[in-house]
Amino acid sequence: MTHYKPPTQGKASQLFDVVVLVVLTVGALFVPLWMGMAGAAKSVATPVANPTWEALGQNAAQAAKYEALGYTPETAHDLILARFDYSFSVTALLVMIGVILLYYFLILRFSEVEYREVISEKFGE
Amino acid sequence: MDLWNWLEYGAWALSALLGLHMAFDWLKTDSTYSEDVLTSSREGELEAMAEEHAEKHGVRS
Amino acid sequence: MSDFDITSQTMDGMGPHGTKVGLLRVLGPAHVWALGVGIVLVGEYMGWNFAVGKGGAYAALIACWFAGILYSCVAMIDSEVTSTVASAGGQYTQAKHIVGPLMAFNVGLYLVFAYTMLEAANAITAGYLFSVVATMSGHTGELDQRPFIILVIMFLAWLNYRGVLATLTFNLVITSIAFCAILVLFLSTSGILGESILEHAALFEGHELPYGWIGVLAAMHFGLWYYLGIEGTTQAAEEVRSPARSLPFGTLAGIMTLLIAATLTWFMCSGVLPWEYLGDGVNGSVAPLFDTARLSGSTALVWLLGFGTLFATLASANGCINDASRAWFAMGRDKYLPGWFGAVHPRYRTPYRSIIFLVPIALIFALGAPLDQVITFSILSGLLGYTFMPLNIILFRRKWPLETIKRGYEHPFHPIPAITLLTLCGVTFFAVFLGYGTQLVAMIGFYIVVSLWFHFWRYRFVNRGAQFTMPWPKPRGY
Repeated sequence: MTHYKPPTQGKASQLFDVVVLVVLTVGALFVPLWMGMAGAAKSVATPVANPTWEALGQNAAQAAKYEALGYTPETAHDLILARFDYSFSVTALLVMIGVILLYYFLILRFSEVEYREVISEKFGE
Repeated sequence: MDLWNWLEYGAWALSALLGLHMAFDWLKTDSTYSEDVLTSSREGELEAMAEEHAEKHGVRS
Repeated sequence: MSDFDITSQTMDGMGPHGTKVGLLRVLGPAHVWALGVGIVLVGEYMGWNFAVGKGGAYAALIACWFAGILYSCVAMIDSEVTSTVASAGGQYTQAKHIVGPLMAFNVGLYLVFAYTMLEAANAITAGYLFSVVATMSGHTGELDQRPFIILVIMFLAWLNYRGVLATLTFNLVITSIAFCAILVLFLSTSGILGESILEHAALFEGHELPYGWIGVLAAMHFGLWYYLGIEGTTQAAEEVRSPARSLPFGTLAGIMTLLIAATLTWFMCSGVLPWEYLGDGVNGSVAPLFDTARLSGSTALVWLLGFGTLFATLASANGCINDASRAWFAMGRDKYLPGWFGAVHPRYRTPYRSIIFLVPIALIFALGAPLDQVITFSILSGLLGYTFMPLNIILFRRKWPLETIKRGYEHPFHPIPAITLLTLCGVTFFAVFLGYGTQLVAMIGFYIVVSLWFHFWRYRFVNRGAQFTMPWPKPRGY
């Protein structure tokens, strides 16, 4: 069988490929950030007015540690009461599962096609 | 200006120096050696040698 | 071979198949350990504590152990495959031989991104440490962290540029110091030497599982951080003197070291720091072991753990530069990326162009993105890589059953580790979804786009049969 002969790639084309990859990479990280969809922020659901260690749910040992770290009930208020919100929609979960499965299906499918070509050339008759 | 301000400048300067050193050596290397030599590395050298060795002695690993 | 000259000073004379300058085989098993543990140990000094914030202290411990199981599977599977596929590029080269080119391209990118992002996270942490030290030593005003972040990346890239032996020997020294610092802190806070300052019962009271069991699931996300990067040992394959022996040994010794370090770290920090403070790695405890030392009241411990934290971040960034550049180099060598990157420095024997190219990339992320986002990007790339591994080992055993290729190490109980690993990866995907669903989808969207780009454009430059370099028999079923 005839072996596949890859074309030689010129300098400009090599440079262009690198730029494409870098732009895509930076985009993948920064676009969610710029669009403010980066999620995972904590928030205080029920603030406590005039907080004391007891009102913040801290026992004596816990309060002592906070004081050793240099906090007062006022400065520790947000740190102690902020919570994540783990509620999620089933649709979003299904979309995520769909995207992951699609992704793996796609790469395994294309890989298999390319792999058969590699094997037949390497171990070809 | 205390010590840490000086250290800030020092860090900038040292970073620039190291970066320049790498860039200088990179350009020097690229112009001294041919692209053929620089990109001649191939995967699986050890395996290739072991294989040739085995073939020479008539055994297949 | 006519251009084969064993006495040449400029060419290494390795000969077959035309390599005139290749990477240098100089490393031993201790360097492999230093590379693996060096990258990861920083995870005990910072970052793992986000898991506490996600679900409380107990959730972080459960995540620590389940992630430990996940990584033990990773280490075993990886050791088996890499003891036969010993080549720079590690999992990338494995994927190329076992699954196929597009999978290999994706795996190569997972590696480069996981390590480059981790490097950026380390540089950010190092910059923060400098600002803390500045404040402690009486500096007034805000320290500009940027020059220190840049210096860390520049210095380590420079070290990597100049040769692998010095780079990883440096890593061996500072990693050992950082590991010993954890042991010393444990001995002196747990009551073995001197009085115990741990108050687990009192600190946990009323806060056992603040989010319930879903918090335990969510904690798995950052549970990976205790061990992320141990699989990087395989990147050294082309520079280790006897890869079939050293790589499994270094990797498995590494994961054992980390299981010990991770459990000790959780034990000390959760016994000293209240969970809300410990779990907030941005406004609360950025460096939990260092904070634990501060509360111990011993100046010596503060200094020791301060240096431990700095050394751990340096060791990790150093190993990351090493690994990311090897993976990038291996892809360039095969023309998966522009062939220009496949160059080796004739004197220092390092993939110098890849090292230089990745410096500005790391700087963009270190200077431009918040720490937890960078960590998440790194974890996601790692996680995609771990999901690939069970597929890899199952196909490996199917295409080349045990009797067809001799392995330097055979992992036991196949396919139980593969199935366990796949299940835990599924759980972790869900955990990431709970906090960072958008990033997850953006990330996978990115990989889908670059996969299409590779399949329909980039792959034309790749030599088909020649990229299969292992002297293996034809795979079963082809």
